[in-house]
Amino acid sequence: MMGAQPFETIVGAHHAEIYRYIRRVTSRATEAEDLSQETFLRAYRAYRTLGPEANVRAWLFAIATNLTRNHFRSEKRRRVAYQAASIERREADPDGPESEARFGEAKVLLESTVGRLPLKQRQAFIMRKIHDLDYEAIGQSLDCSAESARAHVFQALRKIRLSLDGQALAPTTTEQPR
Amino acid sequence: MKGKPQNCLEIEVDLVAAATGDAEPGAVHRVERHIDFCAPCRGEFHRYREIDGAVGALRRSPAAAESVARAREGLESRLADLRSRLVSYRIFPSPLGHILIARSEHGVALVEYLGERSELAASRLSRATGVEPQEDGADIEALFRELLEYLQGDRTRLPWALDLRLARSDFHRAVLHATAAVPYGAVTSYAGIAAEIGKPAATRAVAQALRWNPLPIVVPCHRIIGTSGALTGYSGNKIGLKRELLAVEGIRAVGTPRDSHVARQTLYHYERNEQREYCLPTCGDIARRPIGRVTLLASRALADSLGLVPCTSCRPDLHPLAV
Repeated sequence: MMGAQPFETIVGAHHAEIYRYIRRVTSRATEAEDLSQETFLRAYRAYRTLGPEANVRAWLFAIATNLTRNHFRSEKRRRVAYQAASIERREADPDGPESEARFGEAKVLLESTVGRLPLKQRQAFIMRKIHDLDYEAIGQSLDCSAESARAHVFQALRKIRLSLDGQALAPTTTEQPR
Repeated sequence: MKGKPQNCLEIEVDLVAAATGDAEPGAVHRVERHIDFCAPCRGEFHRYREIDGAVGALRRSPAAAESVARAREGLESRLADLRSRLVSYRIFPSPLGHILIARSEHGVALVEYLGERSELAASRLSRATGVEPQEDGADIEALFRELLEYLQGDRTRLPWALDLRLARSDFHRAVLHATAAVPYGAVTSYAGIAAEIGKPAATRAVAQALRWNPLPIVVPCHRIIGTSGALTGYSGNKIGLKRELLAVEGIRAVGTPRDSHVARQTLYHYERNEQREYCLPTCGDIARRPIGRVTLLASRALADSLGLVPCTSCRPDLHPLAV
């Protein structure tokens, strides 16, 4: 009749992670706030129909991933509309990649490189490397196969490798996250 | 990366995966063998490991806890709002035409006869304010099954939690509560309900309120009739249905479909008294007193279950009515 645990438990267990995921993908706090809330509102509507065996965490990531994609799509439409009306607007985001890159610090450079990845690659990369989702789950989120999800992560790493070419990285090679 | 040998190109995917801790054991082994003798790839491998380490550092610097907390707080209030609005429903074909059943997290909010139509637009749910209808499945199906059992006489109670949000006023809610308290197999009148809620002059308003009963069958407005015993209005023009619902409970009506009366001579009568005695319809002039002051009961078993005792003068216990 309903998912195995009460919805409050789901919120408690996953909200912070979903917020951080969206925050990384969008790199804006206001959007992360709104989209993470939207994710759970959607989940609440569908929760009753979720089977007891379902992987709730992967399911939430899929909802968040789709919402973020739709958000960027309509954002892009809005921007195109603005341009058509020739109201050229500069992005005045102080956390924006351009201003950060000047610091040249590896971590900042890495973050800005991730921020410039195509959306699907960025989502796949963050789900895999920051949140440890398996490729099956990532594929479901991105509406593609596990193999394609793996390919997205590979492409992301390649781009990061190229953009960090010649950049000294902190000696963290011995500290493997996995 | 130009001019890479073919075998270096071929192993690139595995190399990246192995360096970033994401490869199958077989692939790791292949990569190790390759970088043993290929210095450029060995360099790449270490570079990717460095990158992986830097990515690892990224995951240890998550967003500030206070922005997470703020987002969470906003979520709680939006969730509470959604919960209060969300009503799930389903529409079922039934012998009585399509029936819509809707429930909120508090309880069942609507049972509606839709007749021929089978879409949400035909329902008052689509016009209710502050309600977000959502089509839903299994638990409402269970309600429908119980309803069918009830209609077939296989069940005498629908012990559902109710949500009276579609009631139009406090008066409406009071009428529904009083009606819900009329037991299976008993009949009273609009005037009787009006008296029950302390508004004895509001007979017509009670009838009007029950006309808009959001929970027919569950809140048994079919057990409420005219003081004379006439089966007046049910859900518009469904007097025949009212008659059937009463028949299921052992209350017979006589007359034409347009002009039906309950057959009082087949029912036990109870008029409130200190001894809590119930009577045969032949006891004194009890059968001429208005329904509402008198409650009609289908069986002695019902009278017993209500804690009533047989009248010591007419002795319904010694002369039970023919079933």
